[in-house]
Amino acid sequence: MTPGDAQQRWQTSRAPLGDRSAYKKVWELQSQDMDVAALAVAGHTDEATLELTARGTIDMLKSTVGVGANDVILEIGCGIGRVGLPLSKECLHWVGTDISSGMLRHAAERLKDRRNTTLVELSTVGLQEFPLDSFDLVYCTIVFMHLLEWDRYRYVEEAFRILRPGGRCYVDNFTVDTDTGWKIFMESYSYPIDRRPAHISMSSSREELRTYLTRAGFADVRVHDLANGLIAATGTKPPA
Amino acid sequence: MSTPGDSDTRLAALQAELQSVKRREAEYRVKMIQEFLDRGERNSYLHVLREECAALIKREQEASADLEILTRKLEDAEARIASLTAELERARAPKSKWGAKPAEVPAPTAPVPGAPFTYYLHTSPFRVYRDSAFTLRGWAWPVDGRKVTAIRVDVDGRTYAGKLGLPEPEVVAHYGLQPENPQPGFEITIETPAGRHSFSLEAQLGGSEWRSIMRTTIWCEPRAK
Repeated sequence: MTPGDAQQRWQTSRAPLGDRSAYKKVWELQSQDMDVAALAVAGHTDEATLELTARGTIDMLKSTVGVGANDVILEIGCGIGRVGLPLSKECLHWVGTDISSGMLRHAAERLKDRRNTTLVELSTVGLQEFPLDSFDLVYCTIVFMHLLEWDRYRYVEEAFRILRPGGRCYVDNFTVDTDTGWKIFMESYSYPIDRRPAHISMSSSREELRTYLTRAGFADVRVHDLANGLIAATGTKPPA
Repeated sequence: MSTPGDSDTRLAALQAELQSVKRREAEYRVKMIQEFLDRGERNSYLHVLREECAALIKREQEASADLEILTRKLEDAEARIASLTAELERARAPKSKWGAKPAEVPAPTAPVPGAPFTYYLHTSPFRVYRDSAFTLRGWAWPVDGRKVTAIRVDVDGRTYAGKLGLPEPEVVAHYGLQPENPQPGFEITIETPAGRHSFSLEAQLGGSEWRSIMRTTIWCEPRAK
């Protein structure tokens, strides 16, 4: 099967814009096989590139919120476990969550040798599957662009709940005031108006991300300009 | 006396101990999460919230029932106070030289005569009134089928006219059509100043006489600003 085939199958697996809130349906459609799933969540299919981009994400996490050997970490929207595979080698335990069982099936295959990992299918938007005060770090990368604003905030609120006091939160998105962000914006702009897919990328502003974290109760909220042209907001759950 | 070497050794030992504690604590949390997931409590947080919500609704219902019972008791107590006061006034009345003068009982406000009504109130008046106004909604018709021509609420002698003739299709479907009152619904907005007040829901029959549908006392306690 060639990458061209996967591109074709990905094109036909897209749900219409009106289904944007039906995340489970949208992402189950795009997880029919590993190549389509990889294209949908990472934009490429080869393992070496997946590993390289995952390393980049881990570097960003290290430079913004830090990653410790004793950290219990949760990723919101882990997809095929792109980041989880290398990150699980640098922490005590990594929990990957996704709303698509199909994505998690591919992640399970990739992570089968990593014993300190757990994969959990989310029943809906939120992290209700987890108890409070459990994690040292909750992060969400390359996901907010596919969510509506209210759902972005829901995840930030839930991250606050499940983090232990002193735990760190990281979320990112693209913003239109950088060259990279503008390029992503123009890619979405180029869609014919009646063919915009449900997962079409939508930007965040710095103030939007800062507001979510502040309103959720995080302390030491910061917005970072990342090396890859995205922006990230980070915060710390205050002591109880 | 300790040497710098001793201090460094001690510091390293403490740091190792701290790392060990942190690791044990993190392992405990991983175990807790795993057990949480293993027990099938995937939606336990939502479930807990729903249970809390149901318990709050039940408590609210019980509180409303308690309030209604309390209101009834207060009504009985007020009636008894009125009766005892009247008896006391009669006993204190001065006697003339020709004998006991009959006690002058103050003329009560002309009561509105009652009449049997079938009625239902969508917004219960049995509550603690927290706002400055309250809208009573419901439906009513007299058992004898006479036409209801107006509706009002009397609060401490002040009357509030209501809007009559609102459709109640479910009532008509259940009881059958009362020809004189095809649309028995009503709506009345009253002011609810702080304190206890008498409350009487009244209907005018056939364009002339007013009849009481139900009466109670109400307690208004506005929210602190």
